[in-house]
Amino acid sequence: MEQLLDRIIAGFEAADIEKRKDGQVFFTVPKPKVLPLINHLKMFEGFRNLILMTAVDWIEDNQFQITYLLNNPDTKTDLGIRTFIGRDGEGMDSIHELWGHAATFQREMKEMFGIGFPGSPRVDEPFLLEGWDDIPPMRREFDTKKYSEETYFPRPGRETHDPATYMKQKLYPND
Amino acid sequence: MIDPVQKIFRFQPDRSLYPETGADGKPVIRLDSGKFIKVWQGPNHPGVTGNMSLELTISGDEVVESKTHVGYLHRGFEKLFERRRYIQCFPTCIRMCVPEPDTNEYNLARGTEELAGIEVPETANWLRMLALEMARLQVLLRMVPGQAATMGLGLGAQWGMYFRELILDRFEELTGGRIYHMYILPGGVRGMMPDGFRERLGENLKKIDGFIKDIDKLIFHNAVFRKRTIGIGHIPADWVDHYGITGPVARAAGFKRDVRKDYPYLYYHQINFDYNIEHDSDVFARFLVRRKDLETTVDILRQIMAKMPEKGIIRAETPNVLHWRIPKGETYVRCESSRGEYGFYMVSDGSMYPRRINLRGPSYTHAVSVLERLLVNANISDISSIMVSLATCPPEIER
Amino acid sequence: MSIKDILSPFSGWKKVFDEPVVVKDPVNDRPGAPRYRGFHRNDIATCIGCGTCETICENEAIDLVPVQGIETRDGDSGLRPRVDYGRCCWCALCVDVCTTGSLTLSNAYIWVDEDPGVYRFTPGVDDMPWQREEKGWKKPEGNYEFYSLKREPMEHLRPEERNDSFAEMVRGFSKEQAMREADRCVECGICVATCPAHMGIPEYIRAVRDDDMERGLKILYDTNPLPEICGRICTHKCETVCSIGHRGEPVSIRWLKRYIADQNPSEKYKQILETGVLDKNGKKVAIIGSGPAGLSAAHYLSLMGYECTIYEKLPKTGGMMRFGIPEYRLPYDQIDKDIDYILSLGVHIIYNTTVGKDITLDQLKRDYDAVFAATGLHQGRSTRIEGTDHRHVYQATDLLRKVTLGEEIHVGRRIVVIGGGNVAMDITRTLARLQRLKYGEVRIITTSLETEDAMPADSEEVVGSREEGATVIPGWAPRKIDIAEDEIKGLHVVQCLSLFDEKGAFNPQCNFDNHRFFEGDMIVESIGQGMDLVYLTEGIKEHLEMTPRGRIRVDDYFQSSIPWLFFGGDIIQGPDVIHGIANGHKAARGIDRFLSGTADKQQTT
Repeated sequence: MEQLLDRIIAGFEAADIEKRKDGQVFFTVPKPKVLPLINHLKMFEGFRNLILMTAVDWIEDNQFQITYLLNNPDTKTDLGIRTFIGRDGEGMDSIHELWGHAATFQREMKEMFGIGFPGSPRVDEPFLLEGWDDIPPMRREFDTKKYSEETYFPRPGRETHDPATYMKQKLYPND
Repeated sequence: MIDPVQKIFRFQPDRSLYPETGADGKPVIRLDSGKFIKVWQGPNHPGVTGNMSLELTISGDEVVESKTHVGYLHRGFEKLFERRRYIQCFPTCIRMCVPEPDTNEYNLARGTEELAGIEVPETANWLRMLALEMARLQVLLRMVPGQAATMGLGLGAQWGMYFRELILDRFEELTGGRIYHMYILPGGVRGMMPDGFRERLGENLKKIDGFIKDIDKLIFHNAVFRKRTIGIGHIPADWVDHYGITGPVARAAGFKRDVRKDYPYLYYHQINFDYNIEHDSDVFARFLVRRKDLETTVDILRQIMAKMPEKGIIRAETPNVLHWRIPKGETYVRCESSRGEYGFYMVSDGSMYPRRINLRGPSYTHAVSVLERLLVNANISDISSIMVSLATCPPEIER
Repeated sequence: MSIKDILSPFSGWKKVFDEPVVVKDPVNDRPGAPRYRGFHRNDIATCIGCGTCETICENEAIDLVPVQGIETRDGDSGLRPRVDYGRCCWCALCVDVCTTGSLTLSNAYIWVDEDPGVYRFTPGVDDMPWQREEKGWKKPEGNYEFYSLKREPMEHLRPEERNDSFAEMVRGFSKEQAMREADRCVECGICVATCPAHMGIPEYIRAVRDDDMERGLKILYDTNPLPEICGRICTHKCETVCSIGHRGEPVSIRWLKRYIADQNPSEKYKQILETGVLDKNGKKVAIIGSGPAGLSAAHYLSLMGYECTIYEKLPKTGGMMRFGIPEYRLPYDQIDKDIDYILSLGVHIIYNTTVGKDITLDQLKRDYDAVFAATGLHQGRSTRIEGTDHRHVYQATDLLRKVTLGEEIHVGRRIVVIGGGNVAMDITRTLARLQRLKYGEVRIITTSLETEDAMPADSEEVVGSREEGATVIPGWAPRKIDIAEDEIKGLHVVQCLSLFDEKGAFNPQCNFDNHRFFEGDMIVESIGQGMDLVYLTEGIKEHLEMTPRGRIRVDDYFQSSIPWLFFGGDIIQGPDVIHGIANGHKAARGIDRFLSGTADKQQTT
């Protein structure tokens, strides 16, 4: 594991290494190094299994984190590869040629975050949200509560009181 | 001159001719050629698990192309987590898999504990194992005979339902709920075993032993079942890693894959059990694996009951759950569900609310990329059988 | 495929004559398990309407609504949870988090009605059959808590370290301790109403959790300009109603307040509180007394632009805070930290000037637009039993004042203190220290009318007195001081049976057969203090309305029947620091209403 990490740091500029537990490490690599690294890991290091890929929205830094979680079933190790891309329409290279199910992940990320994966099969077809016309909902600026308040109707007659405010009204309104 | 209507009626699919292969290597499907029919199986169909639908292009009674459509049960849980405290995620996350909600509870609890650095008391860990194995047992009791129901052999499935209810009764006693148990929460579990629980569970397991023998006779030694499952839905071994196939489906293809043994969690390393492997990788093999899993689960439950401490602390001390800040970090936690590896990818930004919780369930690939490819050239009457053999569960795809 | 595969499925017929396994009448034959999570129950007499259930409900299924017959009072919001079963998911987190343990779920799970409106009800108020059902989900037993019920222990100096020293005893929280203690708060806000100053308690505790001390200080100064002092000696009535206190130990609100004040250095106060430059409105207010009420009024009036002058008869500020409370509880540098900040806002102070003697109230009326009198209770009351006119019978407040001023006081070898309040404990512990310094041993007996559980003193004060060597014997009424050859020999006491009669009036009943004698050569009386209103001239007294119980009548804004004259502090309410602060704040607003013309009554005398 240590040697593998040394190779990744040396060859692919991996940084921010976070060892979560035995056999599970997360690290960040620059975007251009992601595909070479994944290819290398799959071909030469035994990381044959793509567990998941997904995005995390860091809206405050104006970037998306894309995480690829690769697994080596022989050594029972997981590598979490993080990379950061811009939030404003910047796409990511597709890995659909490497794994059969990568296209599904990429399709979902296109729909939920608006991250483009040029060349990925059926990437523009709706996955879960047929007929959705709002912004990609997993982006953090999408406000679920506001959406539900506008779309659905609340049950009439509901009201609640904050205990401290209510006690002020009742016990010491003038203070 | 043959009547065109008669021509269609006498149509015999010839795989060398239809569909033609286009320049890009993909089949050319022209619906107006009269050689294809579009059929939607689902979203409401007895042969489909849950609410999903298959957009099938059929030539004769064979499938030329299949597309999985999901989203009928999308509730946006991963989005909802963004504005929920960790403790509030706990009653929500279970809904990401209806038949086996406990794996969700467990993953959320374990991910939170890993990020926060909390040690769970021993008794709580044993109780977690108990809940997880009971959940696996009740799923398998439904799923194993349920496979036969996809071809009209419903008797076993009905019997299975009764035995599943017995386990649900035990769940009700232990956790206060039958389907959504809400038992494993960050820090520990929500109750000791009630008095007499061991004995009642032991009785139930004895009955289930008998039921396993019954379904052997009823289903596995059934000419119809064998005829319609052996050699059907074959998954080549090289698909397993290419598609990220896990659990019983991978084990039926000869792979030793079981999270409980590969990445031991809780106290599974103290339990004596083995990988259940088959090699034919067809529907029958997959169900043979599940049938063995059923026995293994009953055995594991007996071992758990033998090792379970009589009393102990059920929940570790945690910060106030109403404003529990989880330190910044990320983790991937996994456990073995009845369908395969079930994992949560959790990212915390150091606040009271999770930044991202992402579920990776086995159905995500089984029901989409694997199923779409597996159904090509399958007979339409085998679709539901193949689908159930992959144990697809739409809520876990959509979340 | 074999012939067996054809025949064995027929085994399915074997159950054809078996009894069906279906429960025929689930309503009656199939009750929920004892732990079942069914419909809600609430013990509304125990419930305090803290709303924690509402906070944790992830489905927003719970509303807090007023309920007929339940009054809003200290420690009870008068609200009760109402559950909307259109949203509830029966997770029972509301039960597990409930601060009082009143909310539970029953094992009832069948409820059919044609009217969807009924599926929203207030458990325990709307009569539901399952309210009386025994079984159902309750908070799991054994170490299962969503928040800690145990206080973060506050470190004190050990008795041997503090015995002969006036160093501050309570060490205060470290950052980790404060964070852990602040974490216990559930932010219900029940305490706010009980605090006389209505401080933003949940907000400043949140500031501790966020480690934002500047925000914390701002919240403190919104309602309390003496946080260092209050953080040490406040009577913390808030803690008596803390919702966590129903099943555990209440949150240490007072120590958290002290923690915030301690973390902010005094030189940064003006910058944090943004009081560097204050606009003056040209109006002048005179304040009599620099105790908590006077300082609080001066602070808020200064922020409003008034020019304030405090007249103080002693050579130092602080009133009872400095001269009544011993240094080991409230160090002088902490008093100075709070008061110096207030004085730095441009408040003038004139020391050694007694209104009524050095300057008259009429003079103040001429020189100022309004006068706020917060002169406090300084005259010790006497038991008036036989022998109290002896020269070695003292008043606790007089002794405490002299100790603060650095004057020599008489310290007997054996001392008897009469009184059960905090002042009695203060003088006990002060004299204990002086005795240890002078004679190397402590021989003090402190006795009170009240029994141990009814003593008005904080229990930690009683415990502390005992730890320091004093003997506290509650439940005895003083009868007579034994004097022989002009020297005190001791105090005769009889057992006190009850303090109040059926009407609630003070009327002690004693058992004269049960008699004791406490030996001593010095007696200290500490049974309460009275007010000294000599500065009120006859002309003013004529116009001043009094209450039937002999106190000055003031309105909600502490304005007396003489509009330019405001009263507050211990002479009106209390006696304690926090009431004084609250009075001062309110009076400041009253004076502003009066002087800026927004008050309802406009006429002047």
